[in-house]
Amino acid sequence: MDHCASVLLAFPHTSELADNEDYDKAARIHVQKVDKLIKENGGNFPIFAEQLLDIVNPVDHSISYLALLLALVKPPNAGQATLLQRVSRFLLTFDARQIRYAGSAFSELLSRIEEGWLFPQSVAVELSATALLRLDPTGTILTSHHLPLVTLAYNSNNIDAVLALIEKTIVFYPGINLTESRPLSDLRLPPVAYMTPESGLTARINTTTVLKYDLLVGMCFMAKRRWQEAFEALERVVTYPTKETGCSKIMVEAHNKWLLVGLLLNGKIPTLPSTTAQGVKKSYETLSKPYLSICEAFVKDSAEGLKSEFETLGNQFWSQDGNLGLIRFVLSHYQRWQILNLREVYSKISLEQIRTTTQSAETGAPLSSDAEVEALIQGMIDEGMLNGVIEKPLEDGKPAHVVFLTSTEDLSEAEFAKKMLQSARRIKDLGPIIKATNERLATSQDYLRYIIREQKKEQGGGGRGAAHPYELQVEDEDLMTGIMRS
Amino acid sequence: MADPMMIYFTAVDNHGGIIVQGTPKFDLDLYIQNYKGRTRFDRLFLIGRSSVALCVDALKAAVAEAKRGRDVGRYREAVESLRLAAPNEPEATFDQAWIDVTETSNRNETHRLTTELKGYKNNLVKESIRMGNEDLGKHLESIGDLNGAGDSFNKMRPDVITPKQIMDVGKHLVRVSLQRREWSLTMAHLNKMGGVQLPDDDHTLQTYIKVAQGIAFLGQERFQEAAMSFLQADSEVGSSNYNEIASPNDVAVYGGLLALASMDRDSLQEKVLDNASFRTFLEREPHIRRAVTQFVNGRYSACIATIEEYRTDYMLDIYLQRHLPKIYGAIRSKCIIQYLIPFSRVKLDTMQAAFGTSEKPIEGELVDMIKAGTLDARINTIDGLVTVATPNPRLKMQREALETAQNYEKQAIDRLRRMGIAAADLEYKGQRRGGSVSNLMNSGPSFQTELSFDESMG
Repeated sequence: MDHCASVLLAFPHTSELADNEDYDKAARIHVQKVDKLIKENGGNFPIFAEQLLDIVNPVDHSISYLALLLALVKPPNAGQATLLQRVSRFLLTFDARQIRYAGSAFSELLSRIEEGWLFPQSVAVELSATALLRLDPTGTILTSHHLPLVTLAYNSNNIDAVLALIEKTIVFYPGINLTESRPLSDLRLPPVAYMTPESGLTARINTTTVLKYDLLVGMCFMAKRRWQEAFEALERVVTYPTKETGCSKIMVEAHNKWLLVGLLLNGKIPTLPSTTAQGVKKSYETLSKPYLSICEAFVKDSAEGLKSEFETLGNQFWSQDGNLGLIRFVLSHYQRWQILNLREVYSKISLEQIRTTTQSAETGAPLSSDAEVEALIQGMIDEGMLNGVIEKPLEDGKPAHVVFLTSTEDLSEAEFAKKMLQSARRIKDLGPIIKATNERLATSQDYLRYIIREQKKEQGGGGRGAAHPYELQVEDEDLMTGIMRS
Repeated sequence: MADPMMIYFTAVDNHGGIIVQGTPKFDLDLYIQNYKGRTRFDRLFLIGRSSVALCVDALKAAVAEAKRGRDVGRYREAVESLRLAAPNEPEATFDQAWIDVTETSNRNETHRLTTELKGYKNNLVKESIRMGNEDLGKHLESIGDLNGAGDSFNKMRPDVITPKQIMDVGKHLVRVSLQRREWSLTMAHLNKMGGVQLPDDDHTLQTYIKVAQGIAFLGQERFQEAAMSFLQADSEVGSSNYNEIASPNDVAVYGGLLALASMDRDSLQEKVLDNASFRTFLEREPHIRRAVTQFVNGRYSACIATIEEYRTDYMLDIYLQRHLPKIYGAIRSKCIIQYLIPFSRVKLDTMQAAFGTSEKPIEGELVDMIKAGTLDARINTIDGLVTVATPNPRLKMQREALETAQNYEKQAIDRLRRMGIAAADLEYKGQRRGGSVSNLMNSGPSFQTELSFDESMG
């Protein structure tokens, strides 16, 4: 056991390692030694592990600590309070740099947690989300852990715990490996360089995972009533790049929800972004017909149409699509948008007039009393949906009415400059991502093949100089089609 | 007599016809004297079918007009209508003998002309072929076979030589396509005519082209372009040059109304009132000139009142009828907008007095205009005010700038994401090319979320 301890504690402290290369070497040797140790001790290892955990510090010796934990976290031990405490302590404090070298072990631990038998679900979700963000604080890469984690969170209604994770903008996906010359330990590495299938921190993922993830993120935001974010997430699925013609069922499903969320968000039919593939657009037109009819009815002046669109297909249809709740919500929001649109026309309008000119899509008729109208409008004002006040003048002859306030106050020069600066900074912050993308594309096989061909042409065909610019252009287009195709 | 009239107009209504109740100001005989050719019947028949007041007179005149010509189809149509509307009139019975005689002679004439044309074709004399086609075309037009007439006139094209002949072909074709209400075809023929250079009687032809073009634009509801066309007509050109399509009075009315509907005050002053040539046209219709002057002088309600007086007349015009509500609507909206310009707020009651009528309160109209985006104002029903929105260019600029920056950011991220997907080779690869929609449904990877939105909401 002493031998075990000496091996586990052998990894030097960061201050003793001169540079990234040294760290890289030391870490690799350490991982090998720990592996060997476990293999040699075989069945005895778990027995020591319990005591060894007291000696090993999870922050300084994350690799060793992880190995010990993994040996213990198995069904018979699952319920032990001290063990669980150790796991959570580890996940909250581990050294992300070390763990880059123990990726598969870490992934293994995460998967066990995500399966849900180790911790109560809410704890499992929170721990995993925190751990993932500790590994990659930028949150810009989609790993194979994202989907199971968010699914667990959604199903167990622990969405709050993953919000920090799903709010991140994802621009990288693990895939074809990079020819990265810098060692894994280099802290300047973009996440896409160390969160790779080779390092074990993520597995390879497929298209379906990506689509499912964004759809699920959209649904999480929907459940939280954060329509703008939900809309954006669903839009990512709707505009997912496709090769050739074709459209995934998930995309259609997202499109249906996207239409409804668009109605709730802006009160009008959303338009497909120009990046949607043509073939996909056509598929949406056919496959999302019922939803498109709902949209058209929503922007009409009479609630009757919307109500009948909903009722002709019936609860059964909508709940089969998993959209019954959402569509009910859309129906209940119809009148709100009608009232909201009145602000484009009126500056003050009586409750009485609102009652007669707007209808509820749930009943297809106007509300029965001014008090109901007042309650509805008060609700809208409280939610921040409507900028206005209800006034009940005491003098005679003037009925209770709504005053729509306009936010036409322009910003001061300083405020405006501040906002612009924020925007500029956010765009500037994309710099590292652009750099990483550039590096990644520069090492992609297609591009290399293209470069080699170009070089060959340079060497061989001096005589055909005139043809070059044209060919260059064509080649260039070929390379970019997959990326730029809208 | 009221009863058959009722039945007749119910039938017209059912066929989507427009019925005009009021009594027009013009005199039917004087009105129709302004025209020649087939448009006379078309106009009379339209009045007969639309105007309650002039129905019988117009239909009787239409029957007489048809009988003067050789178009049996029109005669039948007119008599049939008259028989429904006023069965007791002597003209309401079919003159079978006339029909038989005319039909036979028409048939013989068609046969004769066709044979002659064949002969010319065999002789390969271009001039004769052209004239043969022209004669046949004219004949077919006069018996009501507009399709055939159009074909014949078109066949003249390869054999025309002088500019004069090109013009003649053009006029024939324009006339036929106008009768068939094929506006874009009319435009095409007119464009061909416009390209030809004529030395002397340029103005004559220009005026003909402008009038026909104006009508074609009007038919396509391109009001501004139509107005510009009519305004370029030359009043010195004799009406005989274009009275088979419109009269000088029509030019004044069309031009004036459409200009009112589509131009601002400065343009109206410059292009209508100060237009020496068009002024002469306007003298024939002084009330149109009055309306334009009133608009320019800012007396909007007077302007509307003036044109409203003549609504019935214009509803009985063959080309204006279908578009009049739109034109009047546009003029009204413009008046309301112009009326509001000098004020920051106006009492609803004042506006009601200026523009509203008892059956149509101004508020509804304002609401429609604001919704359509033609008017930027807010209504305050509590204090009875209309507040004109004051433009705030600074705010607009700021909003636009921030929006642009945001869009840029969003697009940049989206592009990066797409590159990321492409780099990881994760694009969605469709099924086989040309797979049908039903295939798509079944073959796409299926995804059922275990817990739907519904449950988590509850």
